[in-house]
Amino acid sequence: MRQMSVQKDLAKVTCFNCHLVSTARLPWAKSRPHHDAPAGLAVSPDGKKIYIALDDRDEVAEADIASRKVLRRAKVPGRPFGLALDAAGKSLFVTCRDGDRLAALDTQTLSETASAPVGMGPVAVAFCRTASGDRLVVANSMSDDISVLSVSPLQELGRPLAGRQPYAVAMTLDGTRAFVANRLVRLGPVLAGPASEITEIDPMTARAVRRESLDSAHLSEGVCAVPSRPWMLTSLVKVRNLVPITQVANGWVMSSGVAVTDIKTGAVIQMPLDEANNYFADPSGVVTDPAGRRAFIASGGGDVVTVVDLEKLAAWLEKADLATKREAVYDLSLSPEYVTARIPTGRNPKQLAISPDGGTLFVAERLADSILVLDARSLCVRGRIVLGDGGWNDPIRRGERVFTKAGYTFQNQFSCRSCHPDGHVDGLSYDFDTSGIGDNLLDNRSLMGVAGTEPFKWNGKNPSLEVQCGPRFARVLMRTDPIPPKDLRDLTTFIKSLPPARVARSADGKLTPAQERGKAVFFATMTPDRKEIPYERRCSTCHRPPLYSVRLSFDVGTGGVFDTPHLLGIATTAPYLHDGRAQTLEELWTTYNTNDMHGVSSYMNKIQLNDLIDFLKTL
Amino acid sequence: MHAMKTKLSSLTLTAGLAFCLFPVAPGVRAAAAGTDELPFPLIDRFENFQMKDGMPTHKAHCVLRASDGKLWVGTYDGVLVREDEKFRRIGVEDGLSHKMVLCMVEDPHTGDLWIGTMRGLNRYSAGRTTSYLQTTSGLPNNVIYGVDILGDTLWVATAAGLGALNLKTGEWSIFDQSNTVMHEPWVYAVAAAKDRIFVGVWGGGILEYELANKIFKEHRDPDRDFHFELMHDAGPISDITSWIAWEDGILWQATYFGMARYDGSRWRTWEEKKSPLISNFVNFICARGRVAWVGTDRGVSVTDADTWVNYRTNEKGEGIVEIARPGRPVETRTMSTKLVNDFVLGIWVDDHESWFATSDGLSHAYFAAPPKPAKVPDAK
Repeated sequence: MRQMSVQKDLAKVTCFNCHLVSTARLPWAKSRPHHDAPAGLAVSPDGKKIYIALDDRDEVAEADIASRKVLRRAKVPGRPFGLALDAAGKSLFVTCRDGDRLAALDTQTLSETASAPVGMGPVAVAFCRTASGDRLVVANSMSDDISVLSVSPLQELGRPLAGRQPYAVAMTLDGTRAFVANRLVRLGPVLAGPASEITEIDPMTARAVRRESLDSAHLSEGVCAVPSRPWMLTSLVKVRNLVPITQVANGWVMSSGVAVTDIKTGAVIQMPLDEANNYFADPSGVVTDPAGRRAFIASGGGDVVTVVDLEKLAAWLEKADLATKREAVYDLSLSPEYVTARIPTGRNPKQLAISPDGGTLFVAERLADSILVLDARSLCVRGRIVLGDGGWNDPIRRGERVFTKAGYTFQNQFSCRSCHPDGHVDGLSYDFDTSGIGDNLLDNRSLMGVAGTEPFKWNGKNPSLEVQCGPRFARVLMRTDPIPPKDLRDLTTFIKSLPPARVARSADGKLTPAQERGKAVFFATMTPDRKEIPYERRCSTCHRPPLYSVRLSFDVGTGGVFDTPHLLGIATTAPYLHDGRAQTLEELWTTYNTNDMHGVSSYMNKIQLNDLIDFLKTL
Repeated sequence: MHAMKTKLSSLTLTAGLAFCLFPVAPGVRAAAAGTDELPFPLIDRFENFQMKDGMPTHKAHCVLRASDGKLWVGTYDGVLVREDEKFRRIGVEDGLSHKMVLCMVEDPHTGDLWIGTMRGLNRYSAGRTTSYLQTTSGLPNNVIYGVDILGDTLWVATAAGLGALNLKTGEWSIFDQSNTVMHEPWVYAVAAAKDRIFVGVWGGGILEYELANKIFKEHRDPDRDFHFELMHDAGPISDITSWIAWEDGILWQATYFGMARYDGSRWRTWEEKKSPLISNFVNFICARGRVAWVGTDRGVSVTDADTWVNYRTNEKGEGIVEIARPGRPVETRTMSTKLVNDFVLGIWVDDHESWFATSDGLSHAYFAAPPKPAKVPDAK
């Protein structure tokens, strides 16, 4: 083993490295408590009721706004997440994130009346009227596309290409365009600089018509149209992943912003939301009042809602020249020009909604199991719609609060979740050179399915999540005191509870013929011409089931000895290799395995390679 | 391949008298005889575009008008899109994987354009170009000769087999000599035909793939000879397929040795010396209804398999149109304009206009009469 892995210290290597026979003992395989975490919100046209998606419960709740009481709940299987009402408020449309479908509920009975398949991982939906009839636009976060559906009957009309991980949808007020915000940056050369996308859709034709680039920005989770102005607002995280991570303290690595898109021209100006020495991390939902005078933007990591005076913002944009506008987002002293208030909220505010008369603002406090109800004009708290008990006795839930809290980092710049949305990846490589000079690009690794795969880090030096998330996290990333021990225990409990990312599999769980052939390639001990593949060069030697990792470090010819990543959910974690140099799984072997160091692949023809990749995508 | 093109085109410099003598299908004679009406539109004039008109290069390889009305031209140096009477170029600097564009198809569901180049496949979607290479995706090979879409599947003709990309799942399938009856790996064309796919193989004739049964059937030149057509109307005219096109139940085969037509049961073949076909050297066929618009090295032939119209340049350098109706002498007219170049590599046609991509520019053809339905009686 020492010879094979170049691992000098085998003290922590046990039989389980190679002979873990089941994942059933792992925390993520066990049942966990479920909570009343609010996701999408929709307010009825008469302003009397609010509908709340409870994805962790497989339920949709209806609450009375005046009394702030939940009136009833309906079961909606498939992890209901995004909501939209039709113009009359008679039908409620629900995206089912794990069911890959859109459900229609009758708001009178709160029962499901129709369902239509959409792309994978639908998270947001918007309704509009067009000359060709009513339309729904759905953001499919896992298949990177957008479903456009007719309402009567409820069926998909087209599925145009999105950016990467589309996450929020908003219609222009005239219903002629849908704007879709995407969370992840497009795949491309690491050093080219990241850029995500706002995708414009014509709901009538179900076609993409324009794509605006958000340079050096990502994790857009909210988008909304501005009445009275030709604007679309999109929340964003400005990211500087290619500067050494020391910039957390010496400048910043992440800051929050909002993109102002001119609906007519597609021109985008990014504006900062943070302050020079105080950050409001993880911007998410965005709404404006009906007059278009103010915008509200939730900060999931900062537990505030930022209020932007759009008239002041417009005035600033009016007088600024183009060069100033281009650089605006880097000037964190700008935000006092138009940010007029920060409203404290409960834990992890995400989605926002506003009543049709603009009088009431609703804030989904996701990790407090409540909806904060605010007077949108005075910004005074009216009360809360209580959905659940917050799950304070559940260490996983407590850990998720730690995970999403920016207060542990220097000047509240970011949370664990800022790089690991949903516990997964943000698709970036970061310069982890702690000295502040030189390059040490490291690809971000998913935390989903990470339990049992220790040691951690690409160099395989951290023996446990407690070390990884404790002192190391404080020294290298947070640049503050470490997370307190009790919170750290909860945090690691939460991380270990994250199951591997969901991947596309056939309904019956069976492999397709191509996937079966790929499986045979993965476990091959001989090449097709009966030459033995050396033990240390077989896929399954290092990527041994059930985790598809023996948790040792190897040299696979990429410039060093690196920890063997597990392969569960590998289809969803691009880019690949320790520095993110491989944009696709194919590139691992076509481009970066010229000497058969990363498994013997030189004998494979293209069909065999495609089969192997098809199999890997099922793990 | 290029040497063969040169040699064969020099062998077939004259079409000869066969033009006037070609046999006529009796069922069509009555319909065409005694009237000037043709079963397809006649071109009245050409409007030409060359480098002086904003083309970035001499060679245009393919052309199509998308459903949104935009005209797209694949050239030796990128893709051109015609907007507001001007050409805008999309090149490697805009994300295109290679400058030499060989083929294009529009996805009818999304309006996205799939662009095949000499190095990779590209998806152009609302201003964004995404490239697929053999090293970064399941694409069989980087040389893309043809693309077509049927349902949710993109079919890609490459220099190393046929690729199929499921546009919803992203899964690639490859069909080549290792898993089909394909004799050669060079797939030059692919044509979607409702419930099946036709595959033009350079040196391997035509493959017919039944989607429901996942069965490949092979159509080969029965005489296996590419210099002479020994067995007339008995199968593909040659195994050296340079292009295929399908519409309305009819498959058309282009080769450098003539062309063929297949209606699902019967084959018909044409050579320049034995028919009005303008040249044996057929680069491209665009099927419109049951009519073939045939791009050759010496101009364009249009035919429904019985009536033929040829557009070419005569010895005086004038543009002429030759109309060969069944059973009647060939009628030759001089045109006020002509094709920008007689070496035609790509064609796009609808009921109102046609476009020709040539080795020295682009021609826009205006039809002489109001559009007529392209449907014609089945030739028997």
